[in-house]
Amino acid sequence: MATEMAMLHDVSRCTGCRACMVACKQWKELPAESTPFDGNLQSHKGLSPKTYNLIKMTERTENDTFHWDFIKFQCMHCAHPACAKGCPKGALHKTESGAVVLNKEKCIGCGYCADNCPFDVPKVDEQTHKSTKCDLCADRIENGMTPACAQTCTARAIDFGKKDDMITLAHSRLNDIKGSFPNAQLYGVDKNGVGGTHMMYILTDSPAVYGLPANPKTNDAIDLWKDIIRPVGQLMGVGAIVGAAGAYALTKAIAKKHKDEKGGKSDAD
Amino acid sequence: MLIDHKYVHRHEKGFIICHWLNALAFIMLYLTALPLYSKYFHFFYTILSPYTFQILHRTFAVLFIVTPVLSLFLAPKSMKHWAKQIVDVGLDDIKFFIYFPLEALGLHPKGMPKQGFYNAGEKLNSALQICAWFLLVFSGLALWFGGASLSKETMYWMVPLHSAAAGLAFAGFIGHFYLAMFANPDSMRGMKAGNIHIRYAKAHHEAWYEELIARGEISREEAEKAIKENNA
Repeated sequence: MATEMAMLHDVSRCTGCRACMVACKQWKELPAESTPFDGNLQSHKGLSPKTYNLIKMTERTENDTFHWDFIKFQCMHCAHPACAKGCPKGALHKTESGAVVLNKEKCIGCGYCADNCPFDVPKVDEQTHKSTKCDLCADRIENGMTPACAQTCTARAIDFGKKDDMITLAHSRLNDIKGSFPNAQLYGVDKNGVGGTHMMYILTDSPAVYGLPANPKTNDAIDLWKDIIRPVGQLMGVGAIVGAAGAYALTKAIAKKHKDEKGGKSDAD
Repeated sequence: MLIDHKYVHRHEKGFIICHWLNALAFIMLYLTALPLYSKYFHFFYTILSPYTFQILHRTFAVLFIVTPVLSLFLAPKSMKHWAKQIVDVGLDDIKFFIYFPLEALGLHPKGMPKQGFYNAGEKLNSALQICAWFLLVFSGLALWFGGASLSKETMYWMVPLHSAAAGLAFAGFIGHFYLAMFANPDSMRGMKAGNIHIRYAKAHHEAWYEELIARGEISREEAEKAIKENNA
């Protein structure tokens, strides 16, 4: 399938039912995790090797008004994914649909993807020593299906379709909710420091309220490493070995020439 | 007095032990990182799993960090002398590099300035390796433990820093290895037996040779006799 796809999450519609989390676990055959209750109804502290999709629930009071903010959080499927750029093994790649997919065969669990992701998404499984994250149900998309979470959402808070259609829908929905949520804004729709994301949001408030970075960026350090430092370092290593071998050969040739010129007597040092 | 009528003391035992521990640590660190550094060494993962290589890398990292610290206790005099030598840089050290390429090829160019205990090349290599050590250890510890305490902005730079320092250190290591093993095998004796032939000392570290005579540690007569016997 060559069409670029995207997922759109409207937080104003989310009821926090967590059906999307269950659907993800079911499709990915992931086990439930026993997590301690720490005074918050949010089920997990964060994403984990067994939880690729999480409904975050944040309680806050602003101007004497209590807010309970829900947001579906998972891999953002960036247009310029820092995880893929930072992977030394090429284990992460962007599909034509826009999903950023991990090849577990190539993954060596180094954790560079986790270090480089501006959203802190990939988690390395300490048992399998492989990285883990949402892959936008790339297998379902390839078969013309909808990702499990979007398929299941009970509140129609998750839409999935062609990227252009989702962008149009996002703008339309934003207009609808501006009256009730004056601070409402889109996130990931426009090109940003990660090139825009294929996981897009209609937020009812600023990204900071939802724990999202205001200006996510694939850091220049990653490009510098992958495009310059690493190849130059490899070249330097090879160059040093070739140089030493060349110097050795030349030294031997010069010594032999001197020996021949002196009639078989070698140079004393 | 010369050892065995021909050798002069060069390095103390503790310094030698730490040198070889450091060499082992560095080589193993490089080998265990090689499949991560270059796809041509991915086949290493058919021998041991990537996770095992990561554990080995961290194990030898501990040795790499501990060894210089250990050297401060096992060879404090040598370490102090080495540090003083590295920072004692003069015009002769700069001139050294003009003549070094021909010297390294065995051409013995006229005009090569007399060198001290460590020649300018050794001083530069030492400075390079010490800088690389600090960069590798700082970035390595950040990558290992720093995720929880360092900001993401800082963490982004740790892989490039670690990679750059490793690249520089390896290039320096190849030069060091080549010169010690192939170009100047006499110097290798210094890092094994702890002494070197007086002929080699005069040829390559003449300023130090003169210092030893001036301090009365060796006599010029016995030195010249040993050199003459060696050349015979």
